[in-house]
Amino acid sequence: MSEKKLRIMVIDDENIVGKRLKPALEKSGYLVETFEDGETALARYDEEPFDIVVTDIRMEKVDGIEVLEKILAKSDRTKVIIITGYATVEVAREALSKGAFDFIAKPFKPDDLRTIIKRAANELRQ
Amino acid sequence: MSHNHQRESGEERDAVDDLENIPLRSRPSISIRARIVTSFSLFILFCFAITCWSYWILSEMEKKIEFLEIVGKYMVEIQQARRFEKNYLLYGTNLDDALMHLGTADTILKRHSRTIRHILGAQHLKTIMENLSEYRKQLEMVGRTEREAAIQSLEPKLREYGGQMVSFADEIVKKEQKDVARMLLLAKRGPIFFVFVLIVMMFFVGNALIRQLMMALKRFMDYTKRIGEGDFSPIMPARKYRDEFTSLAEAFNRMIRELNHRQEVLIESHKLRAIGTLVAGVAHELNNPLNNSLLTASLLKEDFHTLTDEEKMEMIDDLISETERSQSIVKRLLDFARESKTSIKSLDLVEIVNESIRLVGNQIKLAKIRLDVDFEENLPRIHGDEQMLKQVFVNLLLNAIDAADKRGRVQISVRKDPESNYLLVTVKDNGPGIPEHLQSRIFEPFFTTKAQGKGTGLGLSVSQGIVRKLGGYIRLDESTQDGTSFTVSLPITYSPSEIMSR
Repeated sequence: MSEKKLRIMVIDDENIVGKRLKPALEKSGYLVETFEDGETALARYDEEPFDIVVTDIRMEKVDGIEVLEKILAKSDRTKVIIITGYATVEVAREALSKGAFDFIAKPFKPDDLRTIIKRAANELRQ
Repeated sequence: MSHNHQRESGEERDAVDDLENIPLRSRPSISIRARIVTSFSLFILFCFAITCWSYWILSEMEKKIEFLEIVGKYMVEIQQARRFEKNYLLYGTNLDDALMHLGTADTILKRHSRTIRHILGAQHLKTIMENLSEYRKQLEMVGRTEREAAIQSLEPKLREYGGQMVSFADEIVKKEQKDVARMLLLAKRGPIFFVFVLIVMMFFVGNALIRQLMMALKRFMDYTKRIGEGDFSPIMPARKYRDEFTSLAEAFNRMIRELNHRQEVLIESHKLRAIGTLVAGVAHELNNPLNNSLLTASLLKEDFHTLTDEEKMEMIDDLISETERSQSIVKRLLDFARESKTSIKSLDLVEIVNESIRLVGNQIKLAKIRLDVDFEENLPRIHGDEQMLKQVFVNLLLNAIDAADKRGRVQISVRKDPESNYLLVTVKDNGPGIPEHLQSRIFEPFFTTKAQGKGTGLGLSVSQGIVRKLGGYIRLDESTQDGTSFTVSLPITYSPSEIMSR
């Protein structure tokens, strides 16, 4: 596979999420950068776009929905995957209607996320 | 000596507490009914006495007038007798006419002897009779003797007796006339005086009764107000005796016990409601450490053979700390939810407020509220029930979060009131405010401004009940279109008993 590695951005204000997902996803052959808030993530996206964005929905200041809206406004090619917690399934539906690729509910296993990312990657490569 | 002194002061205290501490049932009974019946009986007795007196005085007057008539007739007869006597002595007419008149006079006296005796007494009657018979004797003697000789020898005596008889009767008539006039005046003035006394009596007795009733009614109005505001301490009227109001007080106390019981049920059910709200947030919050643990454990297993010992150790440490985090989240909710008997303890209010903020932490995050805290340092402690106080602050915070706009602002402060011995906790939101015409009703149970199904209308009423129980109060400081602010005042106390006695 001489294809260019897909770039993934993980945003979650729980730092352990980024800390664990980065090596887990890199192992699957992606380039991963992690962020703990929406603002820095969006700033970084402006510097260099990402193919897949995995973002927690509930964050202080800029939340997942805003990240979703801003990124899709910049590039509708980017696949945005939303991480939700309990009681925000409604919001997840809202996210889907706003153009999110999919959502995953906490708690999840690395493989659950990998499956979704893989689907997203396949769509991107078509 | 010291022993003695102790006993004395003990007795003194007993005397002071006396009134308040005698059980309602063992106080002597003086019912309102008895008081009203007594006062009415007094009035009736008084009226009866006055009527009797009037009756008596009128019949006395009747007798006197009758007597005056009799004496009048008698006077006519004896005056006639005297005229005939003079005629005889001067012109030599016969004496029979005079004697006939004397006979009539005697008949009058005899016929009415009872009446006359009643008015004048036996002594005077006897005097009159004697006067009459003396005169008659003299007259008869005159009749028997030669006329010229009689004029010479008997006239002076005859005159003396005749004069005495007439003047005595005359005196009596005058005296009795005076008497009748006096009694008439009395009979005229008596009723006026009676009416006056009656009015004064009615005024004082009526006033006293009304005042007692009104005071009791007012007291009970105050009780209902107090109970309405959630103060469920029993009524202990400071009166020495029992009456109908004592029975009412007992009924009130039964009602208060019942209400108190219901209040406890309400507090509990409201707490369950609050827990319901908090659980959603707590479950969400719990998902974070769970997710962290699941990710960490999964990857630890996945890469177990490739990870360095140091990396493994870090992951295990994360697992431990995230599990502890889960534990503390659950424990916090359980501490709040646990059903337990009210226990009054010495508490650090700031700590309680901080715990309450942590309990609603997720609601704050979900609503993207900015929470500003401002706590004064080194505040004195208060006494209260930890869970109940948390319930109050959780409720006020949830209300504030509900009221604040999305991305709104909630401020909470704890400080000492510089003017009183109270700690003040103020919760302020920047919501649209409570409409002015509803502000007076917000502490009523089941009153809510929230949409149907959203609020039970119990929060503030239950909170007020709790705070009152702890000797404090909640008030709405202000509610304008720029926001609403509530302040909870709690007394600074050094022992639990200080709260109980409030």
